[in-house]
Amino acid sequence: MFKILRLEFLFNRWQLLTVLAIFTAYFAYMAYQIDSPRIFVVTMSIMIGLSMPFIILGREDKFKTAALMCSLPVRRTTIVLGKYAATWGAIGLGLGYALLFKAVFPFSKFAIGEILTARNFLVSLFLISLIVAVILPFTIRFGLTGIIILLVSGQLLGILALILTQALGGASNPMRFFFRAVKSGLQTLLTREAAPGFQLTLVAAIVAVNAASLFISRALYARRDL
Amino acid sequence: MDNTIEITGLRKEYKGFTLDDVTFTVPRGYIMGLIGPNGAGKTTIVKLIMNLIRRDAGEVRVFGMDNLRHEPEVKARIGFVYDAPRFPEDLRLETIASAISAFYEKWDGRRFRNLLEEFQLSPRQVFKKLSHGMKMKFSLAIALAHDADLILMDEPTAGLDPVFRFDLLTKLRALIQDERKTVLFSSHITSDLERVADFVTFVHKGRLVFSAAKDDILETWGVVRVSGDGISPAEVPGARGFRRTEHSLGVLTSDIAAARGRFGASVVCDMASLEDIMFFISKGNAHV
Repeated sequence: MFKILRLEFLFNRWQLLTVLAIFTAYFAYMAYQIDSPRIFVVTMSIMIGLSMPFIILGREDKFKTAALMCSLPVRRTTIVLGKYAATWGAIGLGLGYALLFKAVFPFSKFAIGEILTARNFLVSLFLISLIVAVILPFTIRFGLTGIIILLVSGQLLGILALILTQALGGASNPMRFFFRAVKSGLQTLLTREAAPGFQLTLVAAIVAVNAASLFISRALYARRDL
Repeated sequence: MDNTIEITGLRKEYKGFTLDDVTFTVPRGYIMGLIGPNGAGKTTIVKLIMNLIRRDAGEVRVFGMDNLRHEPEVKARIGFVYDAPRFPEDLRLETIASAISAFYEKWDGRRFRNLLEEFQLSPRQVFKKLSHGMKMKFSLAIALAHDADLILMDEPTAGLDPVFRFDLLTKLRALIQDERKTVLFSSHITSDLERVADFVTFVHKGRLVFSAAKDDILETWGVVRVSGDGISPAEVPGARGFRRTEHSLGVLTSDIAAARGRFGASVVCDMASLEDIMFFISKGNAHV
């Protein structure tokens, strides 16, 4: 797995650094504009969770290096594990850079100490895990086409959900109930007291989401013809 | 004879194409050419050996090991050259090689540098700036740098100029001199195979037509040519295909000696080249 990790690093290092350099402007804007540590954590997590996997998997798709990877003396299960490790490594790099930038940026609306809590860290990892858990299996199996299909499907589902919400009317229709449940879940995630039980649940959820995603990715990649 | 590759009953089904019941062996220390027209199934066979695609049935044994069960062990001893190299285009050759070298215990950095020098490539060159021929040279350098026991190449000579093709074939010939290394390469350029191959496997429409020693094929196969309607293709012993034009008939036979014995001087009997065989079987009007 470490050989795959090294290969991904050598193949993508300059692109990762370039993207982080571009993100500097975005982080500066966020640090300057956002005065809520929670919103900062959520937006930063979503941004990093979406962008970093794309750099690695997008380049693999562009140069068709999956065939190269699979011709090397490693099993496909190891390749998938390596891709997850590389993705999380890139995410770690992104998070580290964002926090470092926030710490040294002189125009921040709040101090870095306000977001450096165990709860924020776990919430951030949980949100990124949710994004990665969906993106990686699709991209690993179908390449960028898969992710485009996923995004378009998401858009269409969103439009359908909005139409249904309007069409069904009334406060008790199932769509409104669904949206309320999502909203309440997010609120709980962001505002609930950071008791050890809650943090433990978050850790378990992060592990479960990643393990399920890895399991699916392995099964999908084993079936992929290159 | 010791076999490097043993393929038995191999099957892969695609929509509109099926590779079916392919069985052949590649003896150790020899060069085998895999020939057939475009779309015959050559690349499918190569990919199945490398487990780049899933097989639907059959078995592939490389160095006596199942290529799926012992995938890492098998691939560690294979030098693989793609029809179109699959490396990140924006990286330097040295970076690509550094990333790949870690996977091979027997990677020899000095040998790799010597090969680059021999191929007139600089480690600092960026991959996308190389011509097609240079990209193939780089792929070959990667494949040869870890002392692979089997060199597996998919259409390595396609799109290359004759000079480099000649160099490549000479290199392959030199490679097997130690009688330990084996080469299997697919090509539709039959002259390349005639120049270097010891064995030839011919696939057509997903099925194996023959797999035999090249010299045996070139000594026994032939084309019987006759003007007008003097004979019918079915009369020719060992007939494998024919092509009829307005004024003549050409029949490909796998037993030219028997054909000579049967017709004597009343017909023209030529030895068949691999190109003739490919032409008659893939483009002939019908099989006999």
